[in-house]
Amino acid sequence: MGSKLVLPLALLLLIPLFSVSQSDEDYISLGVPADLKVNSNAVVRYDSQVVEINDYNDMTVLTKRIVTVYNKYGDRHSNAVEFYDENTNIKALEVKIYSQLGEQIKRIKKSEFTDQSAVSGGTLYSDNRVKFYEYTPISYPYTIEFTSEVRYKSTAFVPQWRPISGFYLGVQHSEYKIINNTDIEVRQKLDSRGFDIEEIAEGHYQIKNAQGIKYETYSPPLSEIAPLLKVAMTNFSMEGVPGINNNWQDFGKWMHDKLLMGTDDLPQEVIDEVKALTSGVEDKVERAKIVYNYLQEKTRYISVQVGIGGWKPIEAMEVDRLGYGDCKGLSNYTKALLEVVDVPSYYTVVYGGDDIKSLDSSFSVTEGNHVILCVPTEEENIFLECTSQSNPFGFTAGFTDDRDVLLVKPDGGEIVHTKVYEADDSLQDTNATISLDETGSFTADVSITTTGYQYNIHEGIQNETSRDQQLYYKDYWSHINNLAIDAIEINNDKDAVIFSEKVKLSSENYASKSGPRLILQPNFFNRVTNIPQRYTDRKLDFKIDRSFKDTDTFIISFPNTLKVEAMGEGETLNTKFGSYTYKLEQIEDQKIKYTRTYILNKGNYKKSDYKAFRDFMKSIVRSDKTKIVLVTSN
Amino acid sequence: MKHLLAITLTLFCMVTYAQDYKFGKVSRSELSQTVHPKDSTADAAVLYKKEDIYFVYTESDGFMQHREIHERIKIYNKQGFDYATEKIYLYEGNGGNKERITKLKGYTYNLIGGKIEKEKLKKDGIFEEDYNEFTEINTITMPNIKEGSVIEYSYKIVSPFLAVDDIIFQYNIPIDKFDFKFRTPEYYVYNKKVNPKAFYYPKISNSVSESTGKYTTSSSSRTNTINGSKNYGQGSFDYKEKVLFANEVDIPALKVEAYAGSLDNYRAKLILELSAILNSYGGVEKSFSTDWNKVCKSIIADSDFGNQLTRFNFFKNDIQAIVAKGNDDFQKALLLQTFVKSKVKWNGFYGYTAMKGTKKAYSEGEGNVADINLLLIAMLRSQGIKASPVLVSTRDNGVPIFPTRKGFNYVICMVESGEGYILLDATEPFSMINVLPSRTLNWQGRLLRDNGNSTWVSLRPSKQSSETTSLNIKINDDFSVEGKIRQSITDHLALNYRKNYSNLSADDHIKRLERNKGDIEISNLEFTNDMDITQPVKISYDYEALDAIDDVGGNLYFSPMLFFAMDENPFKLEQREYPIDFAFPFKDSYLINIMLPEGYDVESLPKSEIFDFKDGESKFKYIIKQNGKFLQLSIEMNLGKSLINPNDYVVFKQFFNKVVEKQAEQVVLKKV
Repeated sequence: MGSKLVLPLALLLLIPLFSVSQSDEDYISLGVPADLKVNSNAVVRYDSQVVEINDYNDMTVLTKRIVTVYNKYGDRHSNAVEFYDENTNIKALEVKIYSQLGEQIKRIKKSEFTDQSAVSGGTLYSDNRVKFYEYTPISYPYTIEFTSEVRYKSTAFVPQWRPISGFYLGVQHSEYKIINNTDIEVRQKLDSRGFDIEEIAEGHYQIKNAQGIKYETYSPPLSEIAPLLKVAMTNFSMEGVPGINNNWQDFGKWMHDKLLMGTDDLPQEVIDEVKALTSGVEDKVERAKIVYNYLQEKTRYISVQVGIGGWKPIEAMEVDRLGYGDCKGLSNYTKALLEVVDVPSYYTVVYGGDDIKSLDSSFSVTEGNHVILCVPTEEENIFLECTSQSNPFGFTAGFTDDRDVLLVKPDGGEIVHTKVYEADDSLQDTNATISLDETGSFTADVSITTTGYQYNIHEGIQNETSRDQQLYYKDYWSHINNLAIDAIEINNDKDAVIFSEKVKLSSENYASKSGPRLILQPNFFNRVTNIPQRYTDRKLDFKIDRSFKDTDTFIISFPNTLKVEAMGEGETLNTKFGSYTYKLEQIEDQKIKYTRTYILNKGNYKKSDYKAFRDFMKSIVRSDKTKIVLVTSN
Repeated sequence: MKHLLAITLTLFCMVTYAQDYKFGKVSRSELSQTVHPKDSTADAAVLYKKEDIYFVYTESDGFMQHREIHERIKIYNKQGFDYATEKIYLYEGNGGNKERITKLKGYTYNLIGGKIEKEKLKKDGIFEEDYNEFTEINTITMPNIKEGSVIEYSYKIVSPFLAVDDIIFQYNIPIDKFDFKFRTPEYYVYNKKVNPKAFYYPKISNSVSESTGKYTTSSSSRTNTINGSKNYGQGSFDYKEKVLFANEVDIPALKVEAYAGSLDNYRAKLILELSAILNSYGGVEKSFSTDWNKVCKSIIADSDFGNQLTRFNFFKNDIQAIVAKGNDDFQKALLLQTFVKSKVKWNGFYGYTAMKGTKKAYSEGEGNVADINLLLIAMLRSQGIKASPVLVSTRDNGVPIFPTRKGFNYVICMVESGEGYILLDATEPFSMINVLPSRTLNWQGRLLRDNGNSTWVSLRPSKQSSETTSLNIKINDDFSVEGKIRQSITDHLALNYRKNYSNLSADDHIKRLERNKGDIEISNLEFTNDMDITQPVKISYDYEALDAIDDVGGNLYFSPMLFFAMDENPFKLEQREYPIDFAFPFKDSYLINIMLPEGYDVESLPKSEIFDFKDGESKFKYIIKQNGKFLQLSIEMNLGKSLINPNDYVVFKQFFNKVVEKQAEQVVLKKV
């Protein structure tokens, strides 16, 4: 779907820092304790961030980071990078490289850093810039030291502390310290996530000797399992605009008053136009649908981020004139259009993405990377993705579903949860009638109907050329050799949010021959083939992000020169992770019916459950390969 | 009278039906078009493009290159909206020399209720970005884009550089009409060539016209920088202009195909390169490239190339002991390659000219491709070994098409001794003699011998890489299988294997091996020669697979290749326009030994079979034999040539299909 992310880069950044107890030992690769090298591509020897707050609009961050790198995958952990803009002054920046014996072999001054504009993917223009240094190692291991001093006039993004900033990264010593020279309260929230974090003094934290974390399949993202300190100033400045943040309530109020107010004027002819379009329509949701359609026809997504434009929408008037805007501009424009037809809506800050990530309901801080619009009704909150020209009204699966978001209301902010798509909401129903001949070739009519999250996965195919659609189905059913696609018919019911695909196809020699027998796999069209990775000693809990349900019915007819010699006996599995069942029935002499239902349940599961989960998946893979043996009957 | 009338009518008709390509003359019929008349899959189309390049003389700057662009683009649907955004790259050289953009204007046209509405591109749709020290990017995005919009923009780039960007004749969307003109003062000689790999050939024509350069009388003493002559009269001088032009219509879109390498290799384009600057009498003032030998001479004359090959002092003392261990030139080359690899690491940058210089690269331990390989050549030459650079265009850079310096972007090393020769590339840790990283395996390279001669050498490997697998299978009572697997891998396959696996821990290596093999457990992995590049890679491991055998109605079914059976033909298209490029020929062979379980007999076996492609150019062999309690198989896929012609595609696809089907065939065992 055409949803896009927007975010000032400074927000994405964790800026690592400087302090006291660091020694020359840290430059010698050989000095790394043996147990920290296990599972590590690199080890943070010493990392210190000192955040000095001198005023509501004056913050200096000192960073010193020493990392010993063991291989090419560890190179990126040096984090030798600083982003900046007009309100950020990089006062000092330096990298030094040390051999494994601790001799300095290189020094890179600030002027030797690469300086480049930081326009990230999907953004057309931004005034953010970046200075970075990429070292080409002569040999491993080596040790790299990065120091920086950066002064910020914007204090809306106080650096977070993420001492374990990557998988396969050991940490010998990391600390974070706030020096507050003002009366402004600096709120902090520490999630230690089971790690041993020491609070040395008020606002001064440290972690020692943390082993590298190995990625394991189905692991939650690192941001949910590694320690994290969030910091927010109650009085801050964002690109010159003073702000207040004691809680989501007043942060939301600030956003409303300082960033949104006065941006919603529209030209009179547009007001007249949407009023005319909705005249006589009583129902508010219906009126919202008309406005949403108007938006989708009229605008497109273009991201431009300049100054506070990283957080403040451009005016509705401008969006109207240009016919484009970013997520903030388009959401705000839609909000203005809805106001005209008397439908209240709220500007909504969210983390957008296929990964489900919530705003922290218990700690207000400038976060989120995307904006959508909430239309409240008595039954539910409807969320509108305003950057997409094709998204169905109120559809959020796959990008903003099932997460905590911030509604910016005139009287203040409020955290709410977006729609959860349950297994029955995310359906894929595959039906096929298959006609097999005595050589093992077949022709078939297949229909796939999807809703919810599975709609989101399938609907993109409608925009492809017919040649690419053919290739897509050949790939979708890549286990079928010699597949020929004869006809494709696609229907997207955007009102009901049901996507249906009808495909006529054929394949030669699908069933393999062995003497007088044909060996046929009756699960023609929906196989699970991948068994999750095996772990002898799994370390991390695991997570299934979304529930879904697949149902399949295949009717297989075959000529009377063949008869069934043997076939799979069916299977039923019921676990807490989901359920699976398949059945084979000979419904007529020359006809077999194959039915299958597979449900996966979202959830956070313990690592001790992983083996049972893998066994469940193994059984499915095995059952999906079940066979029918047909034998020549004369 | 009758005739006259007919002519008038004809003319009149032509006027009526002709499109008006003047800026701003967007027609109602262009706006009401809903689908491209010749390519219904197009999301957008270029209705008209004009590119006009010429040189203007000014007294202060001499000849400046002017490039005028005018494009009119139709947007059919939402997928085509991306074409409403255009990025214009401007280059900055040393000493403040930079390209400027001027006269940028643009409009969006929409048909609203039968009326044409136009919206101007304003400042807020134009973004200037200092991308880095060499590049400024100007991005424009058009206002009010809807399905059906027509956009039009034009601009001019004024450049102090003589180098001309490639003229792109083909986009990923159709171009209905393209008018191109390139006018050069008689003093500049440009080589021209259209991409011979493209499937669309523009017709390029020539002509000559007159022009005048003006300068003020007050500074007549200023030496004309172009031809070094002071012989002009004051005020102005006349010169001839050579003109290249093309007027193309209905250029089809370039479409993506898998396994074809870079799509740009097949794009229709005109490449222009300055080959000489003449004086006002027509004599050569300065020559660049006109044929391959001249190109090579000019490259050798480049101090970042030629001079790098003659500096020996800084490494002299370090290599004596190393070279002493070698018996012949090839051995010495291998020893020195190993030494260079250990001493200087590749920083990831391409180029056939040195970035730092060999000396600095040697002392800092880091350099680009030329720093490293020219250093290797210099070391070899210092020992009296006949070593020479080979200029290469990497796979993603396209093939070098005509005599041009910019056709190359990489350099490797050749050592000749007696009748034989070897190729070396010291940028890749796992490269071996004649086993070069796949980025370099692109058709042919240009060898530059010490005596100034140059010639082509093939870069396409002729030697087959091989992977030999021995697989033992024992079927247990619970129908799980277990056994041992041994593999031996050579040449390019070994290079790739080392690149992928030598960095991994044994644990992760096992996890990778277990991937896509079903319900399997692998243990006792041994990985030998992972660092000894002179030997084949050897791996061996034990496995246990729980799902390899199906028990259906009391009979056992399995593929004797188990998880090694290829289960999908990667070639899905019905037809191809571009060749399949495997980069190197290879041979994949399996020796399989299966011990049958107690109480079971063979019910049926796959047939032994051999089939081939193009009279044995490629071959698949499948031999199966029963020997008492054992089944023995010998299976071999032999790909003799790495490049498959599009003409042969359908046959090759069928060949591959048969291979996939054969590998899926099942052994059936029945209870006795």
